[in-house]
Amino acid sequence: MSPAPADQSARKPLDGGWGWMVVIGAHISIGFAYATPKALSIFFKEIQEDLGASFSEIALISSIMLAAMYAGGPVSSAMVNRFGSRPVVIVGGLMCGVSMVTASLGTSIIYLYFCIGVIGGCGLSLNLNASLIIISKYFLTKRPLANGLAMAGSPVFLCILAPFNQYLLDNFGWRGSLLILGALMLHCCAAGALMRPVTPPHTLSSCALEKTVEEQRNNGKTRLKRSCMKSAKTFLDLSFFKDRGFVIYLIGNIMFIFGAYAPIVFLTAFAISKGVEEYSAAYLLSIMGFVDMFVRPGTGLIANSKWIRPRIQYFFSFAMVFNGTCHLLCPLIENYAFLVVYAVFFGIGFGMVFALIFECLMDLMGSQRFPRAVGLVTIIECFPMLLGPPAAGLLVDIYGDYRYLFFMCGSVILTGGIFLFVMNIYNYHMLEKEKQNQVRASEVEMKQTPEAAMGHTEPEAQEKNGVLRDTRSERAETPN
Amino acid sequence: MSASWKQLFFQILLLLISCRHINTKTPGPTSPPLDPISPLPTLERSYVLKGVSHTERVELLNPVNLSLMCTWAGNQNKPSNITGFWRKDGEEIENSRVTVQLENEQYNLKQKFSIVSEENLGSYSCVFGGEAKIDFDLAAPQIGDVRDKPIVSYVGDSVVMTCKMEENKPKPNTWNWYMANDTGKEQIFPAAEPQRYEIKNDGWKTKLLVYNLTEADSGLFYCGAVYPISTTMSHVELKVISFYEPLKPFIAIVVEVIVLVAAILLYERSQSKKDYTAAGNGPGDQTNSLTPGENNALEESSSMRQRKV
Repeated sequence: MSPAPADQSARKPLDGGWGWMVVIGAHISIGFAYATPKALSIFFKEIQEDLGASFSEIALISSIMLAAMYAGGPVSSAMVNRFGSRPVVIVGGLMCGVSMVTASLGTSIIYLYFCIGVIGGCGLSLNLNASLIIISKYFLTKRPLANGLAMAGSPVFLCILAPFNQYLLDNFGWRGSLLILGALMLHCCAAGALMRPVTPPHTLSSCALEKTVEEQRNNGKTRLKRSCMKSAKTFLDLSFFKDRGFVIYLIGNIMFIFGAYAPIVFLTAFAISKGVEEYSAAYLLSIMGFVDMFVRPGTGLIANSKWIRPRIQYFFSFAMVFNGTCHLLCPLIENYAFLVVYAVFFGIGFGMVFALIFECLMDLMGSQRFPRAVGLVTIIECFPMLLGPPAAGLLVDIYGDYRYLFFMCGSVILTGGIFLFVMNIYNYHMLEKEKQNQVRASEVEMKQTPEAAMGHTEPEAQEKNGVLRDTRSERAETPN
Repeated sequence: MSASWKQLFFQILLLLISCRHINTKTPGPTSPPLDPISPLPTLERSYVLKGVSHTERVELLNPVNLSLMCTWAGNQNKPSNITGFWRKDGEEIENSRVTVQLENEQYNLKQKFSIVSEENLGSYSCVFGGEAKIDFDLAAPQIGDVRDKPIVSYVGDSVVMTCKMEENKPKPNTWNWYMANDTGKEQIFPAAEPQRYEIKNDGWKTKLLVYNLTEADSGLFYCGAVYPISTTMSHVELKVISFYEPLKPFIAIVVEVIVLVAAILLYERSQSKKDYTAAGNGPGDQTNSLTPGENNALEESSSMRQRKV
């Protein structure tokens, strides 16, 4: 490829300093990305009455927004590779603001689908991916902690936006609320301003020249354009599927996402069916969100420790198993006190998984391949996320009982966790074997032609299995 | 002979006068139904009191002859007879006092009431000797789900206000909508102003659509579910505001964001200038207007230099 890898390893990530401001920016950006689709549901009843739509038509707004947010992943990653995180997040913030402001003038449900769903969702997808990518660039040794802190934005913003949206609704109706919410989402632009580029944006993409700024300006432009075209076509890079670790991660993730959201959607209804009063049932979700807020940075801190960091994939599978077990035990609950306990454990499990979900991908892929990998992962995750809650709802409709929903979700997540655990053991075993083979092969070559071998094997080893190099270098770089 | 006839005539006259007197004083708990052709249906409600007081709800749809029966087990000392009487809305009903005998260790009070219209509804109580009482609250089906927060809408916009009767209760015959004004309630007739108002009745639900709102439309709107016996009311509050109300916080927040972004970018520029002047001449041009990319290239070179040191 290019001597870029040698440069990259010399340019050590900051792991602090301005990096913490970037974490704050990512926290805000990710917070809006995950919290907005959920917090908007507070307006749905009013919008439904005003526009005369049915409940499922209104709920589709959230679904379209989430789908656009996940499906826009590859585009967002490609744009970040080309332009850097800062412009992308600023544009994303502007798109979100514009989407809400135009939605406040809406008179039909289709108009809202387009404004909030499509434009808003695309804006959020730009925000989400760019924030994750810039964390992977700014942090290495403290990356799990940075990820945990950034992902904590989701429950924090949900806890803030939910009552705030209710307050806005009571005072300004849904139109005024959407207008003010649009202004609030412009804070993503401020978050983007915090995301100072680590290196000049051009040197990171594959179509770039890795020399100085001067050379770029002089003869770079034409060559830049041609190779940019090539990379734009391949932004959906399917070569990732040849990577064993990536495929294992993807399968485990799909299983988790399929079962993750349905219990949240149906928890209140389940509690009411057990005789709990409506306000107390809604309170369960607040408890879960509150616990989640603290668990995410906590998990990041634990994952950063020297015992867990090398085994972070196993920690991730443990978190999934914990989550799945929680759901499987839920149907045994009969009274409110135990439901509160369940909500607390659910919050812990959910927070643990989400704090680690992108950290594990960064760990597998390394900061170079992470941007394209995360784009691919989010667009594939779109499907289980959209299919999960309706499938669970179907179970409830068929059997008339919420137990089977929890059994299904719990068993799918549990299976995913166990699958990840077993397959990661296998994967690391195979990687060790491959490493030993390579070391043996390079020793043999060294005996034959010493000088040629020195020039060959290093970039070869780097190129062949980027995972191997990254995990090795990362394991070596965990001093704490 | 004529004197005794006169006496008899006079007594009959007195009797007639006193009877009419009783009849005209109150609608009469025991007054016969006015319409002999279709007599009112009979409904019975009874309750056995265990403590000293209880309230029983009775939901009525149509005019009925309601027969209420109260049973009380008495307290420690059980006199052989006590006085019992009936009350309506706290006021004692005339001539309802009777002496109740103790039968099978229980006291029984029974009374028939003719419930034909809204005045007949209310709270009927049977009282045993001033100690124990049972209240029967007679009412038409009530609307349970009342929206306590006002609906907010904008000048020139249109709004939909709904009222819902629970589907497990009887269906109202129709719905009426009223607007609150200085003199109480005024019914809304969409036929009079079709551009402004529209009423859509759908069994248990009703919707009032108001178009072209003005600030004068703010206030209470009442919906009434019409039953043969009476109309039950519920209310919805409307608040109409102008579009400038949310626009003020919107502009304030936009200005705040612009200030934040400018501050962050200016701080960054000042930081990089400091590094630039501290590091001396870096690679590339030394122009004043440095792009962020070039800034960071210089930062990189200066930080690398620091590393070497």
